[in-house]
Amino acid sequence: MAVFDYAPAIAVLPLAAFALALFGGRYLPKRGAIAGIAATGGSLVLSLWMLVTIALGADPHQQTLYTFVAGADGVASVDLSFGIFIDQLSALMLVIVSLISLLVHVFSLGYMNDEGETGLPRYYAGLGLFTFSMLAFVFSDNLLMSFMFFELVGLCSFLLIGFWFRDDAPSSAAKKAFLVTRFGDYFFLIGVVAVFATFGTTAFVGEESFIAMAEHAMPGSEAAVPGVVSDWLGVVGLSASQWFTVVGLLVLGGVIGKSAQFPLHTWLPDAMEGPTPVSALIHAATMVAAGVYLVARMYGFYALSPTALGIIALVGGFTALFAATMALVKQELKQVLAYSTISQYGYMMLALGGGGYVAAVFHLTTHAAFKALLFLGAGSVIIAMHHNENMWDMGGLKDRMPVTYATFLAGSLALAGVFPFAGFWSKDEVLFETLVHGLGSTGGTLLLLGYAFGLLAVVFTALYTFRMVFLTFHGDARTDTAEDPEPVRWNVKLPLAVLGVLATVVGVINLGAVKKIIGESNLFLHEWLFHGAEGLNGEHYEELLHDFAGYTAAELPGGPLAPAAVSLGLALVGVGLAYRLYGGADPDPHMLKLGSVRTTLMNNYYLDEFQVWLAMSVTAPVARVADTFDQGIVDGVVNGISSVSLLSGDRFREIQTGIVTNYAALLTLGLTLLVLVFALAGGWF
Amino acid sequence: MAIQPQFYLLLSAGVFCAGLFGVLTRSNALMFLMSVELMLNAANINFVAFSFYYGNVTGQVFSLFVMGLAAAEVAVGIGIILVLYRNFGDIDVTGPVTMRR
Repeated sequence: MAVFDYAPAIAVLPLAAFALALFGGRYLPKRGAIAGIAATGGSLVLSLWMLVTIALGADPHQQTLYTFVAGADGVASVDLSFGIFIDQLSALMLVIVSLISLLVHVFSLGYMNDEGETGLPRYYAGLGLFTFSMLAFVFSDNLLMSFMFFELVGLCSFLLIGFWFRDDAPSSAAKKAFLVTRFGDYFFLIGVVAVFATFGTTAFVGEESFIAMAEHAMPGSEAAVPGVVSDWLGVVGLSASQWFTVVGLLVLGGVIGKSAQFPLHTWLPDAMEGPTPVSALIHAATMVAAGVYLVARMYGFYALSPTALGIIALVGGFTALFAATMALVKQELKQVLAYSTISQYGYMMLALGGGGYVAAVFHLTTHAAFKALLFLGAGSVIIAMHHNENMWDMGGLKDRMPVTYATFLAGSLALAGVFPFAGFWSKDEVLFETLVHGLGSTGGTLLLLGYAFGLLAVVFTALYTFRMVFLTFHGDARTDTAEDPEPVRWNVKLPLAVLGVLATVVGVINLGAVKKIIGESNLFLHEWLFHGAEGLNGEHYEELLHDFAGYTAAELPGGPLAPAAVSLGLALVGVGLAYRLYGGADPDPHMLKLGSVRTTLMNNYYLDEFQVWLAMSVTAPVARVADTFDQGIVDGVVNGISSVSLLSGDRFREIQTGIVTNYAALLTLGLTLLVLVFALAGGWF
Repeated sequence: MAIQPQFYLLLSAGVFCAGLFGVLTRSNALMFLMSVELMLNAANINFVAFSFYYGNVTGQVFSLFVMGLAAAEVAVGIGIILVLYRNFGDIDVTGPVTMRR
């Protein structure tokens, strides 16, 4: 297909913008912003073209672009290559990423250029490099390439969080984000090596892919077990399902770090030190989604292991609740959103673990829209408030910033899960899928536990979201700045308007809660993902879940309406509670009544302190012992050898007298001895 | 009747030992040079003797080469000795030990 010949350009355009901004940003109009907007706009058009092409019935497209290590012909040869794979899932994700990136570039004109920031070429170069790596990550056709671009987006996150590197807080937050995600990526790297060792390939696509081979290697599969896999299982001495669980959990390490799941979520709230558009792009809508996307990409592999799925569901459900509680007490606008992001990614993980592949992708899509919207709305408020983020200094902004208020409200309703906004449909689908699989499966207790966490988190989500809305936009202005906020321009309002519309209506792609009424065939996203590439579509995943993980969907009387009503009711309870507590003209800080609970929540359950303690009191002493061993034993041996050579060299130097006669005498003596030795050995005497 | 080759070898060994003795005991650079000449000529005697014994002229040709070489060596040697004298005011080979370390 000729269309797909342009696929590499989706990622290459932002790379070109990166190079332009980096080397010539000072001479470009708007310091590289225009180049970035053009490039991401081009990517968006191309991505939409791919999406439409596939929607019109084209087959998914896989193509190897460049093989950088070609294995020798033989049994154990390994090829390392870059390739692209565009199917239903990656085409959808490409559109999301390039759309959000384009809007963030436009928003940056208002947030960075109009505010007179310096170092803008560096900023736009960072955005370009990030967009390039994220898009390339999305269309990777093998796990190794995914890993490489996974690391690259982490690097961009580091660079952009630390954009204001002259201040202490951003640079330390950047380091923290880098180190914490790297800790998870370490496990991911081992996982990639394990996949190589087990399957000899990391391809996602086709019969020779590691996903298909893993399926064939499972006991109970009809196909023959691939030889390389059975050889390797003999080496490690585990059954196929046990070993695949281990590999899956190793890769999950990277997912947990990048998607900010418990216990590696601590970097994300600190990452809010970066510029707000960066938070919207990287730390809400796209990069954090990389982890969830990766699990969805290799869902056929995870579907083989009920243990891994159970752990994913439990981690996700727990994170959803855990992060939501912390968001309740935060005073800074962006901090609330950061914890909300962690919580929402918990929902996606819950869906993946609960067998809701479509639900997870759906929530990923809607969340990208409404969370990017909320962050950009927060950015608009921050411009208006002269970079004061404390919500207690705001109030009454609704009449002074009507566009921001309207769009922010749409995003908040979506986040809280209120009918009919996008978040309602997707969050309900997540909870519904988890519930039916939890009820219908034999080992569904973990899923039901995750469901309970998720349901409870719905109340908290609505509460903290509307606490934020009421404190920021309603009531009386509590400071002079809130009385007379700085106006924002079109370049802030336009992205907000686009995302506001999306956050309102994007749920229409999968109206799961009313599927009995509108008919299953009108669940567009469901249909879309169920007709993917051979072996990589929702239908196949459902079979795998049923055959290997023992997941069966229970039939609920009344279908999905009752659970939807429950979650909507809980969301409305949360909203109502927020209105009671903070809806007045001059709300009191009610959370102070929580006393020591609030202190614990404010300090994030002391997890940061715990991690510092872990580093200082456990890792550092171990490192010191290792250092002593290294300095004393390993270096000691090397140093000993060198000092022996030095000493003996010093002694032997003495025979160099400089007197020719002595040398001649030694020569003669040596010759005589040699002749004697030969004579004795040769038996002349 | 030709002389037996072992007499040539004995003569050659004697001359060589005289040269070696000179190298080991003398400290005058000129004497050194002359001792080296003696050792070279001991080798020449061997060449010529065996060449005569086997009826093969190659050895004799080689001895001519050695003589040429010796002449060149003496030229260089005398040059070194001159420089030695200029720098140290003496031609005693045990004197100049400034490069031993």
